[in-house]
Amino acid sequence: MNSPSNTDSLHPLEIQVLRALGKDPKPLTDLQLVQHTDLAASQVSMAVGWLLTKQLVSLASETTTTYVSLTAIGTQFQQAASPPEWILQTVRSSAQEGTSLTVKDLQGTGQFQPAELSRAIGILKKEGVLQLGAGGTLEATGQISATVEALRSLLNQVHKGSRPLDSFPPDHQALLRQYAVKRGNTQEPFRIDDHTERAYLLTDEGQKLLPHLREGAAQEISQVTPELLKDGSWRNFSFRKYSINLRPPRLAVGRRHSYREFLDTVKYKLTSMGFQEMRGELIETEFWDMDALFMPQFHPARAIHDVYFVKNPKKAKAIPEPFLSQVAQVHRDGGTSGSKGWKYQYDCERAKRLVLRSQGTAVSARTLAQNPPIPGKFFSIARCFRYDNVDATHATDFFQVEGIVLGSDINFRTLLGLLKLFATEMAQAKEIRFFPAYFPFTEPSVELHVRHPKLGWMELGGAGLFRSEVTIPLGVTVPVIAWGLGLDRMAMVALGIQDIRDLFTSDLEAVRNMRRQF
Amino acid sequence: MPTISIFQEDFSHLVGRRASMSDIEQWMPYVKGEVKDVSRDTGEVRVELQDTNRPDLWCVEGIARQIGSVLNKGMTPYPFFSHKGPAKRRIQVVQGMEAVRPYVAACVSLGYAMTQEGLDQCIQTQEKLADAFGRKRETVSIGLYRFSSIVFPVTYGLVKPDEIRFTPLGFEEKMTPQEILTVHPKGLEYGSILAGCERLPLLWDSDGQVLSFPPIINSRELGEVQLGDTDLLVEVTGTDLSMVVLALNIFASNLADRGAAIESVDIAYPYETEFGTTVKTPLDMNHSQHISLDAIEKALGMSLGSESIQEALTAYGYQVKTTRQSVSVKLPPFRNDLMHVMDVAEDVAITRGYDSFSPIMPQSFTVGSLSKEEQTSDRIRDLLVGFGFQEIFSNIMASHQELVERMRIADTEHARLVEVDNVMSQTYACLRPSILPCLLRVEALSPRAFYPHLLFEVGEIAQLDLEADLGSRTTLSIAAISANPGANFSEIHSYLDLLMYYMAWPYELEAVTHPSFLEGRVGQIRCHGHAVGYIGEFHPEVLEAWQINMPTSGFEFEIRKSEP
Repeated sequence: MNSPSNTDSLHPLEIQVLRALGKDPKPLTDLQLVQHTDLAASQVSMAVGWLLTKQLVSLASETTTTYVSLTAIGTQFQQAASPPEWILQTVRSSAQEGTSLTVKDLQGTGQFQPAELSRAIGILKKEGVLQLGAGGTLEATGQISATVEALRSLLNQVHKGSRPLDSFPPDHQALLRQYAVKRGNTQEPFRIDDHTERAYLLTDEGQKLLPHLREGAAQEISQVTPELLKDGSWRNFSFRKYSINLRPPRLAVGRRHSYREFLDTVKYKLTSMGFQEMRGELIETEFWDMDALFMPQFHPARAIHDVYFVKNPKKAKAIPEPFLSQVAQVHRDGGTSGSKGWKYQYDCERAKRLVLRSQGTAVSARTLAQNPPIPGKFFSIARCFRYDNVDATHATDFFQVEGIVLGSDINFRTLLGLLKLFATEMAQAKEIRFFPAYFPFTEPSVELHVRHPKLGWMELGGAGLFRSEVTIPLGVTVPVIAWGLGLDRMAMVALGIQDIRDLFTSDLEAVRNMRRQF
Repeated sequence: MPTISIFQEDFSHLVGRRASMSDIEQWMPYVKGEVKDVSRDTGEVRVELQDTNRPDLWCVEGIARQIGSVLNKGMTPYPFFSHKGPAKRRIQVVQGMEAVRPYVAACVSLGYAMTQEGLDQCIQTQEKLADAFGRKRETVSIGLYRFSSIVFPVTYGLVKPDEIRFTPLGFEEKMTPQEILTVHPKGLEYGSILAGCERLPLLWDSDGQVLSFPPIINSRELGEVQLGDTDLLVEVTGTDLSMVVLALNIFASNLADRGAAIESVDIAYPYETEFGTTVKTPLDMNHSQHISLDAIEKALGMSLGSESIQEALTAYGYQVKTTRQSVSVKLPPFRNDLMHVMDVAEDVAITRGYDSFSPIMPQSFTVGSLSKEEQTSDRIRDLLVGFGFQEIFSNIMASHQELVERMRIADTEHARLVEVDNVMSQTYACLRPSILPCLLRVEALSPRAFYPHLLFEVGEIAQLDLEADLGSRTTLSIAAISANPGANFSEIHSYLDLLMYYMAWPYELEAVTHPSFLEGRVGQIRCHGHAVGYIGEFHPEVLEAWQINMPTSGFEFEIRKSEP
């Protein structure tokens, strides 16, 4: 980047600054650069900034000087008079006219704020220039006021241009500070500021570039404009070459959320495999969330399944028949499902209890009860809630990808076939393993482990054949596969996320930076 | 799902062959177990057991028994389940127990000198059974006693809370049951099980010595089993007789596996139970039942033949008799999880190994499709992304503070929402009735992300609706906000207008007031005469509440209501 061959990419402003520095062996300040180049201060500062980054120019010195300048009020005082000066003039001229003035009379003129007047009168009295006469009248003693004289001289000096504070004698410095703008008092004539003055030198690299600088760089143009194109005048110019390796400016753009985009690919994958989407309610009854799935109301299987209950209303109006009676029957004694049932007093009221949907399978249960087409394949990507402490591996609500397959050809081997398909389609896995598993609503149940090309061996999902205790009471007589996929870990690795809560982060920067890495 | 510790040495001894760590891992599918952690120094293996219906597998003895059975292609029946005639010992149940804790089962274990390993495993099993299977001792609790000091018959009866004193485990001095309930850690932990009982359950022997105060605590004299003890009494009490008996059967089988001789105890009830008034325990509750071979083969998708099914089930521990078309099977007495023929089918598959079944692709043709709601959502999302909006994806649970107070809608019609009863954290106490608070949360947390901020989310919200069957409705909503120094009504209106144009959804704005927005800069969005949402500049008080220093405007409307 710094080699002579790259002088083409220097901006015309940079070239002018380089030339100016090259002519003078001494370091030049910003101000001097402005004088030597005919550039505006902002252009010099821009060009110096770029040159510093490119290490063609280095900072030679940095000195901070305190300057005094006039404020708008100071300019008024300089042109007219400062409060003590005005008071003295007014009192003297009215004395010549034979009248004497009181403080109230001065205030009545509305010339200055009462507080300012009192301060000025205080100073003049202290100096013995003014004294109070009978009836509160102000009288000039004829003495000269050092303050008025000094202020007048300072106003005139600073009016010519700002000056370093230390160019004034110490007593004047104190006066300037006294009459300078401060926090809480902005109505003062002087302003005292620190100015940092930087001086720059060419670096060795910069020196080497000097002989290679383009002539007439000032006539180069950087931007093709509609005008240049319209009249063809672009032919008269040469175009400056850019440093194309600089990082481009960032853009604020519209984009899908990366995790949602991941779930989008899942849903497109599933529809392409012939699955139809199901949707359900966030709030469900215990009936559809658990009872219909043959999870007994009393059993420890329910304890592994802690749910959020709804505060108001606590219960649904009713559970549709004949499903309530049929499910109740299957829990009690198996009904017509060929099962012995759980053998307990099923509580129809508890079935109505409202919960936040704790498993996506509730959506499948509802589909089974709606006389679904056979053969049929369904899926849902359902938001679920678990009563868990939220931490790096537990989110308050999360998505479950689950579904069902209904058909007379469904059996344990077609179940394994479907899982094998999921392994290839969802995780590009060539190696898979099946393990016995337990879910309250399936038998046989199986866990699918796959060897993901990036993640290695992982559990991809769980599945099984719905128990007859689930299907028969809901009116389905063909075998049904129930399946669920655990894709969050895959999503997290793909998005480079360690904490599950970050899938739903409220940090916009994190959302903008999130991207799929494979 | 219980997780237990087993030890390689102990396991090898029980399974009857040297088991390497990889053997143990490889055999886990037979018990639906998963090795969670292995310590090679101590030989400890942490195993998670999945099957909540197989409490017999929640202990090293049960795991070894099941695996051993598969490896040895069958199981030798335990003789003590077929003892006939009156038992040598008896527990007399007293009238009135039926209202408190009706059932008890017991057995005597002789000749196994308790080792440290055996005792640790006994305690672990006792805890897992009482905790997960017995619902924290409510339905089942278990006690072990030094048999030699007990004078039979034992009485299972009731006492007044301050009628008797004995020394409970863990304490030095004698206490009344009432004192135990108010002072002893176990009394505090489990006392609620006996809430409302005027008289409390107690086991005592013929010499008046207290065995225990079930389900709370054993007595220290009789109920503190020590290393080297050779003879034990095992007792289970509870509220469900089958569960009580099953727990005892499991315990008895475990001790038998360690070399003990098990002797029965007769339980005499003054009231009727499903097994009569005198129940000899341990008790085999299972019966032989016919199952259809055809159903098993159909479910597994393979013609296995009756012989190989019989072979598999025998190996898994069943007692099997086959004829040509039907199989008659009986589970071992420490299991009672057979409800349906599919349960048998799964055991056949497990014994044969899932990998021995070759997968077949389902052949049926079905048409895949997205729901109408999803398709509409996707169109809206595509449009807003094209407009330059960043999609946001939020949790649906949020705090009342965020959803109501910060939105300046407390005590208004807009503040109706679905709240959780058993709140775990106030941060997640409600379901969002609107998405805008979620977007404002992003704005509030992201003042350093470079501007402009154009954010949107399409997603589910929950609306309280007492007329609806479920007391609420889940519906899809679209919300968008613009936060930048020049954000105002006109800018966000342009985006809404463009969105509605491309969706071909005619809409109107009606000037209204809404506490979340500045008066005179808020409109109700109406489609075909129905209110569907709001658009406006957020009220500075709303922005202040969120600590947002950037002018912000936004809109939100319900998708379903807006469609023509």
